[in-house]
Amino acid sequence: MLNLIRHRTLFFLGMGMGLLSTAHAEIRQTSVWWLPRNVTMFGHEIDFIFYVILILTGVTAVAVFSVMIYFIVKYRARPGVTAVHSHGNNTLEVIWTGIPVFIFLALAIYGNEQWTQMRLKTPPADALPVAVIGEQFGWNVRYPGADGKLAKMTASSVTKENPFGVDAADPAGLDDFTTYGELVFPVDRPIRLYLGSKDVIHAFYVPEFRLYQDMVPGRIYDFVWLKAEQTGQFQLACNQLCGQGHYKMFGKLSVVPQGEYETWAKGKAPQPTAAKETSTVPVVMADR
Amino acid sequence: MSTATVHSATHVHGHEEPSGWKKYLWSLDHKIIGLQYLFTSLAFLFIGGGMALLLRWQLAYPSTQVMPSGDVGNPISLPFINPQFYNALFTMHATVMVFLVVMPLLIGAFGNYLIPLKIGAGDMAFPLVNELSYWVYLLSGLVMLAGFFVAGGAAAGGWTSYAPLSSVAAYNGTKLGQTLWAAGIFINGLASIMGAFNYITTVVNMRAPGMGFFRLPLTIWALFITAFLLLLAVPVLSAAGAMLILDLNFGTSFFNPAKGGQPLLWQHLFWFFGHPEVYILILPAMGMASDVLSIFSRKPVFGYKAMVFAMFAIGFLGFIVWGHHMFVSGMNLVLSAAFGVSTMVIAVPSAIKTFNWLGTIWGGSIRFTSAMLNALAFVAMFVIGGFSGIFMASTPVNIFVHHTYFIVAHFHYVLFGGSIFAIFASIYTWYPKMFGRMLDETLGKIHFVLTFVFFNLCFFPMHNVGLGGMMRRIADPTAYEHLRALQPINQFITLAAIGLGFSQLIFLWNFFRSLKHGAPAGNNPWEGTTLEWTVASPPGHGNFAVTPTVYRGAYDYSVPGHPRDFIMQNEPPTSESVHGAAPARRSVPTG
Repeated sequence: MLNLIRHRTLFFLGMGMGLLSTAHAEIRQTSVWWLPRNVTMFGHEIDFIFYVILILTGVTAVAVFSVMIYFIVKYRARPGVTAVHSHGNNTLEVIWTGIPVFIFLALAIYGNEQWTQMRLKTPPADALPVAVIGEQFGWNVRYPGADGKLAKMTASSVTKENPFGVDAADPAGLDDFTTYGELVFPVDRPIRLYLGSKDVIHAFYVPEFRLYQDMVPGRIYDFVWLKAEQTGQFQLACNQLCGQGHYKMFGKLSVVPQGEYETWAKGKAPQPTAAKETSTVPVVMADR
Repeated sequence: MSTATVHSATHVHGHEEPSGWKKYLWSLDHKIIGLQYLFTSLAFLFIGGGMALLLRWQLAYPSTQVMPSGDVGNPISLPFINPQFYNALFTMHATVMVFLVVMPLLIGAFGNYLIPLKIGAGDMAFPLVNELSYWVYLLSGLVMLAGFFVAGGAAAGGWTSYAPLSSVAAYNGTKLGQTLWAAGIFINGLASIMGAFNYITTVVNMRAPGMGFFRLPLTIWALFITAFLLLLAVPVLSAAGAMLILDLNFGTSFFNPAKGGQPLLWQHLFWFFGHPEVYILILPAMGMASDVLSIFSRKPVFGYKAMVFAMFAIGFLGFIVWGHHMFVSGMNLVLSAAFGVSTMVIAVPSAIKTFNWLGTIWGGSIRFTSAMLNALAFVAMFVIGGFSGIFMASTPVNIFVHHTYFIVAHFHYVLFGGSIFAIFASIYTWYPKMFGRMLDETLGKIHFVLTFVFFNLCFFPMHNVGLGGMMRRIADPTAYEHLRALQPINQFITLAAIGLGFSQLIFLWNFFRSLKHGAPAGNNPWEGTTLEWTVASPPGHGNFAVTPTVYRGAYDYSVPGHPRDFIMQNEPPTSESVHGAAPARRSVPTG
C-alpha cells in the first residue's frame, strides 16, 4: 500500500520527468530534442549531409507552407468572386520539374560520393580488426592478439560452438581473445569490423558513431570501418528485431586512449603461446 | 457493353439485387461491395488503432522498466504487455493497418464505389469476382487476427517478417502465429489480385461513350495505375508468403542459411512488393485528394496531364527503388548506390504533384468544408512525409537514421498524414453520395482540428527521438542508458496518441448518427462535375437509367460565361467552346 502511494506520487512527478533511473548513464551532452554528439570520422560527413538536406527541405517547407497559407487566405470563397478558370501552365510545369531533378540528382551524386568513401574503399591496412558476431541475445566479440590478426573466419563455419567460424588450425588465431558483450576501441585508430550472426539478423547500432549495419547469418561483412575521435562510454544496441529479448540486447562500448586499450587487451589475452607470424590473411566472405 | 443505350437497370449485368439485409451480404452491386469494404476496414482501423495505443502506453510506461525503488514495472504500466506480446502488437498493428485498413479503404471501398459511377458504367466488369474479393479479404483479416488466439501468440517478427527470425520456429517461438500471418498475407493477395484485374478490365472496357482516357477524373487514373502496381507486385509477396509457410512447416529452407538458404532473398522479395506497395497506399489518396481540392476550390485540377504522367512515373519508378530499404542490409554496395539515385529521382514526380495541388488552389474560390480541410492537410502532411524521406534516400544519412523513430515518423506522415487524411477527405466528400445524407459539418470540423493537432503532436516529435538515437521495435526504451533522457518525449507522444485515438470517436459518432439524422443530400451537394453527381444519392442498382454520354473533361469549374461555376461531364456543348482535354475517343451514339 505504501508502495502504491509512493508510486502514485512518482507517477504525477514522473509524467513530465521521464522517471529516470539512477543508473550511471553517461550524461547526455546534447539536447534531448536533437542528435547526440558525434564521435567518429565519418559521422562528420553524415552530419554534414544531414544538415544540407535539413536546410534544403526546411527552406522549401517554409516556402511551400507560406504559399499554401497565403492561397488559403487569399482565395477563400467570397460572394461575388469567382475562381480563375485555368487548366495549368506548361512553363511552370517545366520549371518545377527541372529544379527538383537538379537538386535531387545533386544530392544523390554527393551522397554516393560519401557512400563510396565509407563503404566501397578498402579500409586502411593498419586498422584494428574486431569481429562481432550476434546471437539471440548478445554479442560475441573477438580481438586479435599481439600479431594484430584475427583467425581466418568463414561464415559457413559459424556454429553454436564456433561463433566466429574460425579455423582452429590457423596460427593467427592462437593469440586472439574474446569477450561477450564488451567492446573497447582505441581512440584515433581505424577499426575494421567483421560482422556476422549465429542465428537471426541483428544489427550493430551506435547513434554516437552514426553507424548502423545489419549482421546477417550466413555472411560475415568486412566492409564497415570507423575511427573514433573522442573517448567515452557508449551503448551498442541491436537495432534489427531479433526476437523476444531484442529490446535488451545491448553491449558495452568504450573508446579509450591507445595505452589504456593495450592494458585492457593484455589483461584479456590468453596465456602467451608462441604465436608465430604467418601470412594468413583474415579474408572473409562478403557480398561486395 | 458501353454502347448499350437504354435498358432496364437490373438487366444490365444480369443479376438481381437481393432484398433487405441480405443485400449487405450477397449483393453483387459494386456500391454495396464498396460499403462492405468501407465498414469492414473502418472496423479494422479501430482495432489497429487500439493496438497502437497499447504500444504507445508500453513505450511511455514499460511493464519491464526497472524503477528506482527496484521494482520491475512502471506503477502505471500494463503488466500483460510483455516483450513478446509487444512485438506481436507492433507486427499486427502494421499488418492490420497496411493490408486490412489503408489498402481496402482506398482500393476496396472507394475503388469499388467510385470507378463504375465515375466512368459511367452500371457495375464492375466481373461482379461475382468483385464480391468474392471482399469475402476473401475478410477471411484474410480473420486468419491474421486468429494468430492472437493460438499457442505462442501472433506473429512477432515485424510486418516485414525478416527471415530467418520469421522462418525458423526455434528463433521466433510463434510458429503457428507466423504461419497464420503468412497465410493471411497470401489470402489477402488473392483479394487484391481479383480486385486489380477487375478494375483494369472495367476502366479499359466500360467507360461511357465519350469518356476518353484523358477525360477520366484523377481518382480513376490513380486507381487504374494502382491496379497495375497491385497486379505486378502482390504476386511476389504471395510467393514469398508461400515460401515462408514451407520453411516454417515443411522443412524447406529458402531463407535459413544454416541449411543453405539466403536471408536476403526474403528482403528482396518482400521489398520488391513492399516499395510498389508504398505507392499503392498513396496513389489513390493522391487521386482522390486532387478531385476534392478541385471541387472545393471550384477550379480545374492544375496541370491535369502532368498529374497523370507523374503518376505513371511513380508507378514505373516504384519498381526500381526497393533496394533503398536495404542500404544497410549488406546488399551489394554498388547496387545500393544505384538504388540511391533512383530513389532520389522518384521524389521528382511527387514534387510535381505537390506544386500542381498548390496550383489547383491558386486563384480558387475555396470552400472550407470538412472534406477540403482534410484534403489540404493531406497536401501539407505529405510534404513533410516526403521531405523526411529524402534524409533516408541519402545513403550516408541512412546509415545513421535507419530503423530509428525517424523512419517511424516518416511513414506515419505519409500513411496517416497522407493516406488517412485523404481517406477522411474522401469520406466527407462521398458519404452524401453513399448514404444520401450529409455528415454534420460542425462535428466534421471539430474532428478535423483535433485530428490534425494531435496527429502532429504525436508524430512530429518522433523525428526528434529518432535522431536522438531511439530504435524502433524495442519493447522498453528505458532499458537503454542513452534513451532514458528521451522518456519525457515518449510520454508526451503517448498522451498525444491517446488524444488522436479518442478524437476519432467524434468521427464515428458523426458517421453513424448521420446515417439516420443527416440532412438529405440531393444528387449533387458539392456541385461537382463528374458522373456520380448526376444520379440519385445513393444511386440505384445499375447506377444509370440511361448510359450517360460524356462531352467534356472532368474539371469544368468556373468556366467564364457560364451561368453556373460548374458544368457536368454529360452536359452537351452549347454555343460556347467545350473545355476538356482530349477529343472524345469514341463516337457519340446517336440513339
